[in-house]
Parts: sequence; C-alpha cells; structure tokens
Amino acid sequence: MLLIRAALGGRGPGLGLTPARRALSTLTGGDLGSQEQALTTGLPSPGAVPLLRRCELPVPVHRTPVQAWVESLRGYEDTRLGLADLHPDVFEVPPRLDILHEVAIWQKNFKRISYAKTKTRAEVRGGGRKPWKQKGSGRARHGSIRSPIWRGGGIAHGPRGPTSYYYMLPMKVRVLGLKVALTVKLMQDDLHVVDSLELPTSDPRYLSDLFRHRCWGDSVLLVDVDEEMPQNIVSAVSNLKTINLVPAVGLNVHSMLKHQTLVLTLNTVAFLEKKLLWHDNRYTALYPFHLPYSDFP
Amino acid sequence: MTRPQSQTPEPPAYPGIVESTEEYRFVERLIPPASIPEPPRHQSYPTPSGWQPPKGKEQKPAGLSKDHTDPPPNLPYFIRRSRMHNIPVYTELTHGNRQMTLIRKVEGDIWALQKDVEEFLTPLIGKMPVTQVNEVTGTLRIKGYFDQQLKAWLLEKGF
Repeated sequence: MLLIRAALGGRGPGLGLTPARRALSTLTGGDLGSQEQALTTGLPSPGAVPLLRRCELPVPVHRTPVQAWVESLRGYEDTRLGLADLHPDVFEVPPRLDILHEVAIWQKNFKRISYAKTKTRAEVRGGGRKPWKQKGSGRARHGSIRSPIWRGGGIAHGPRGPTSYYYMLPMKVRVLGLKVALTVKLMQDDLHVVDSLELPTSDPRYLSDLFRHRCWGDSVLLVDVDEEMPQNIVSAVSNLKTINLVPAVGLNVHSMLKHQTLVLTLNTVAFLEKKLLWHDNRYTALYPFHLPYSDFP
Repeated sequence: MTRPQSQTPEPPAYPGIVESTEEYRFVERLIPPASIPEPPRHQSYPTPSGWQPPKGKEQKPAGLSKDHTDPPPNLPYFIRRSRMHNIPVYTELTHGNRQMTLIRKVEGDIWALQKDVEEFLTPLIGKMPVTQVNEVTGTLRIKGYFDQQLKAWLLEKGF
C-alpha cells in the first residue's frame, strides 16, 4: 500500500520520488510546494538552475509540474543544461499497469489476421459414397471415407478461413496508455529530454559511444516532432540497429516498452502535451474527428 | 434628355458567373465545437440548475486572470471535477436491488477520504457504511444511495 501511495504522488513533489527527482526539486529553490501555477514571476537567482521550459497548458491547482533535466547530444558532457517543466497530467499520472497491458496487447493483436484454414469433411475431395453396406460386412458402420475419424478425412473443428482479430480500444484508453507509458519511463529514470537532435558528426559510433558513456541503456528511442530531422542524426541512426528515430506521431506504447531509454526533444514534449491533454477536455465525438469541427484542428 | 431613336435598347451583357463564399457563414455557425468551454461566471451561486463551481474559482472578480486561484482545500486528498465541471459522484444499480454510490477521480490519500466518508455517513445510516477502496483507479464505492448527501458534503469541503 505504501508503494502504491508513493507511486500515486501525493500533494507535493516530496512524496513518491526517486532520490534523483527529490534532488531536482531542492535545486530550483524548493518553492514547488506552493500551490501557484507553473508560471513563476520574477527572475531566478544566479545560483539556481535555469528553467528552460514551462508548461504552456494550464496546470491544475492542486498539482505542480514535474521536472526533468534538459541535456544535449552535441557534446559528451552536455548534461544538465537546465530544467524543463513537464505537465503532471501527462508525465505524472497514476501508474495503471493494467491499461499499459491492455494497450500493448491491443497493439500486438489488432493487426493480426490468421490465414490458417483446414478442409472440413464436405471440402475434402471424395467421400460422397457409403464405403460398404450398413449391415453384414462385419466392419464398423461408416457413411463416407472423409469423415473426421478417418485417416485423410476432414478436420472437425479446425481453423476456418482467414480470421481477423481486429478490435479498437476507446480513444481515451489509448491516450491514457501513452500517458502512463511516459510517466513510467520518467519515474524509472529512463526518459531524457534533449534540446534538439543535432549532432556534431554523422558517425554512428559517436552516438553509440555517447549513449554508452551516459549509461542510457542498450536500446534508445529518439523522438522528434516533424518528419524532417537533422541529416546527421538520420544517417547516424540508419546504420544502428538498437537506436531508432521516430516522429512524434509514431510514438506508441510497444516501442516505448521495447526500448530501454526514451529521448524526447523540447518541441516533442510540447506537441505531446498539447495532443494528449486535449482529450481531457473534449466532448464525445458526434462524428469522426477527421471531419471539421469549429475549433479543431 | 431624349434618347436618339436610332439607339435600340440592347439586352444587358451577360455578367458571367460570380462565386461568393459569403453565405458559407450560415453553415459555419452550425458546426459544433469539439472542446468543452469553461463555465461562464454567474452572479450568484448555486445557479438555477443547482451547479456550483469549486471553491477556488468562486470568489474571483471577473477581471482577475487565471493565475490567482485560491488554494485547494487543505486535505490529504483531492477530488477533481468531471470534464463537464460536475462533482464525480455517481449511483449504480446492479442485480435489480444492489444500490451503490461511486466517488471517482480521487487523487492523494484515498484511505483518509474513506475515513471521512465513514464519519460523515455513520450518523445518517446508524451503522458503519460498507465501502470499497480501489487505490489503483482512485475510486471509492459505498453501499446504498448517498449521492445527494455526498455531493453536498464535497461541495462544502470545496471540491
């Protein structure tokens, strides 16, 4: 119960944090216990760490943003350039592992079409005639040579034709799955925020050495906003198997769980917060959202 | 001025096709919005339908910006409003006779809320209310219909 209480995140950032996150909160002046919104007024003191990103969307009154270090891929020691505020309703939701499981299983199965098909006794070639008369031959009575109990006969309850395992989870469940996955990655110190995906060289070895030096794990998922990414990182990642680059619209729960580390840029964080938080304040769809509404997109 | 008789009235020149998109505004005003608006500020609360905003948003004068909201109640738990800005207390009926009240969207210490609900409902029933706490989803289920009393009680608390 204490573990769940810790994970649910109490009223302030002091509860339920890894030692790394508790250290973060003391660095920015410790005023995160106040109930003001993320927009702080006034300049930070020279000794404090700069806050490089604030939440654009309003944060609920009783929650404060969770923070992460902003790093850079340009140099080996470019860690801890500043802090970024992350919205608590995206990056600090209760850890619903059952929803993660649901969404991961859905992602695996909804595309599945099994093409297995067997022939029934009606479809197997032959077997229309009674093999021998009903009485008098001394053998068991049979009606056709292709019944299921015969060798070479049809299959009684076998797979019938291509079966589709398609089903859709509700949109809000899928959105909550993404939020829970982001939260879990952040809370387990597997999420890193980067200012941008610019590299000094396009050498794949530079990237893998950098990740090994920073102990970011065996597999890394880099996420940028648009499909146009800096050429250096595209060519570096295309030759690497365990480091992958996706646009923000391609982020999904299975990829986040499959890769050990997740790296987001600041623009990606803003995009994800905007898209995922819109679902908290929308009407139910009268008609599909790809048709025009007066205030969307 | 008299027209010279040699001039016959000519038929008017063909004006061509004029495309106008001015009338599309009659269609545009019928397209519904997708996101739920903030409720407007009323003169007095509760409104004629019985709705009341959370305590933080009530006493603000109209001109003040959103930055200066009142602090939420000083309790170890917090109950968010639903997306339609209502209190998340619902009734359920299963098997034709099993009446339950459900409090959803509870954040923070649910067991403290359960203790407070028990203290509040025990004089109403006469015995201890039967409750079920679900920490994972943040819900509290109570046997019996107590939605009106619980909504009023939560409004008093300021949620």
